[in-house]
Amino acid sequence: MPETLREVQQRFLAAIIAGDAGAEALIVDDARVGARKRLGIYRNNYRASLIGVLSDHFERLHAYLGDEQFDNVAGAYLAANPSTTRSLRYYGGAFPAFLARHFPGDGELAELAAIDWALRSAFDAPDTPVLDAARVGQLGDAWIEQPLTLHPAAQLLAMHFNSAAIWSALDAEHHPPAPVAFAEPVSLLVWRNCQQTKFRSLSVPEAAALSLLAGGASFAALSADVIERVGEAAAMEELAARLGQWLADGVLALAG
Amino acid sequence: MTESKTAPSPGFGLGLRPDHYSEFLARPQRVEWLEIISENYMVPGGKPRAMLDAIRADYPMVMHGVSLSIGSDEPLDLDYLAELKALERRVEPLWISDHLCWTGINAHNTHDLLPLPYDAPALDCVVDNIARVQDYLGRRILIENPSSYVTFRSSDRSEWDFLAEMAERADCLLLLDVNNIYVSARNHGFDPLDYLAGLPGDRIQQIHLAGHSDMGDYVIDTHDADVCDAVWELYSQAIAMFGPVATMIERDDDIPPLGQVIAELDRARALAETALEPVHA
Repeated sequence: MPETLREVQQRFLAAIIAGDAGAEALIVDDARVGARKRLGIYRNNYRASLIGVLSDHFERLHAYLGDEQFDNVAGAYLAANPSTTRSLRYYGGAFPAFLARHFPGDGELAELAAIDWALRSAFDAPDTPVLDAARVGQLGDAWIEQPLTLHPAAQLLAMHFNSAAIWSALDAEHHPPAPVAFAEPVSLLVWRNCQQTKFRSLSVPEAAALSLLAGGASFAALSADVIERVGEAAAMEELAARLGQWLADGVLALAG
Repeated sequence: MTESKTAPSPGFGLGLRPDHYSEFLARPQRVEWLEIISENYMVPGGKPRAMLDAIRADYPMVMHGVSLSIGSDEPLDLDYLAELKALERRVEPLWISDHLCWTGINAHNTHDLLPLPYDAPALDCVVDNIARVQDYLGRRILIENPSSYVTFRSSDRSEWDFLAEMAERADCLLLLDVNNIYVSARNHGFDPLDYLAGLPGDRIQQIHLAGHSDMGDYVIDTHDADVCDAVWELYSQAIAMFGPVATMIERDDDIPPLGQVIAELDRARALAETALEPVHA
């Protein structure tokens, strides 16, 4: 029985992804190039193009590691995680977790990758209307009781190292600072404003406030929480300043 | 008199690349239409979709996909088809194309345009899948000839015979990549003029031109260089044989400023004009 097309494709795929030699018998051999080298062209294209995609998605991690180390690490990820996504856009989502697992002594690697990936996700996240000052004006006083959430482009990342500073130095093509572990994790807010992706480190109270809102709290519920912690006068001042910035930055949306 | 299978040529176009967004938005460019890579805009929102909508307002577009995988011997990805149709509604393209290839199987995706054996089982698979896609989209699609580096032992016909029979049986159109013909001719040792002569000219809706990397013993389709003289020559011959066909330059790497790519497109215009001049005795 000759092989079915499906069987042929399974063998060919194994040759490309895993370097399996079984597909050579499927290919016409020749003196000029040869079946092995011809299959090798596909294997090289596959490896180069997917590592290239990882380099594109994790640009600052690549800059941090340098070409040779990035190629090794990305190659190891590719070997362990062949793509199952339809679009290359989504290849590499598990790379930060892979780095955390394989380089537990270099925690900044996974964090740099997580920042790159969050910025990438913010870049083409849904165009859900942001809650800005104009929208609040339209909603009237009742808006403070409405459940809120982070805009789909915004997310909070917990940083255990000075990875944000390393990222920013690499982005500016400066020599990055040495990695330093924080005594307490710091929250990083990643978001998009007018098609520009951004991030900034948050104070502990602001991170707590945005976490509450991310979980669907209303502004009224957040206010009650802050008043309980710091008292009414301090809370009003703090909340007014924060709300102004969140509305201007476009990090919030109405839930539901 | 049979009805023409192809639409009239809209002229000369370019592949839209993010590097050139700002130049397309800043001023009118000497380009009649643009081709988008469909997958690049199958994202939830943000800048890609905003740029697409803004530039689409000024240029007709065609959609070129890389993920249909009509050659995979497994069911089509219906989620992908649904996304393709949603994008089609947004873009209202002149036409939609993909490749004669397969990209993966068993949920593994190489994201590469992999070669098919040119035999009866592969032809049946491709024809069935094209028919399904065309039924779903309610329109004919264009299938592009790939560049390839291997020949399967089970192949029992030429690529052009395969394409001709495929186009006839599936009633689809063709996207002729002249650079891919050159690349494959060098890699497999056939005469590119035999290839052109074997194609159904009345089904060729679009032409791609691109650059490649010459490795000596073989050639790789890299889209990172200018179109070479041999490909220009082959293009002239294709136009002389098939008449005016919508032509564009594909550049995916080492992308030069827009003006430089448009200058290369001007060369295509000039060659096509010469190729179409009546021959005087």
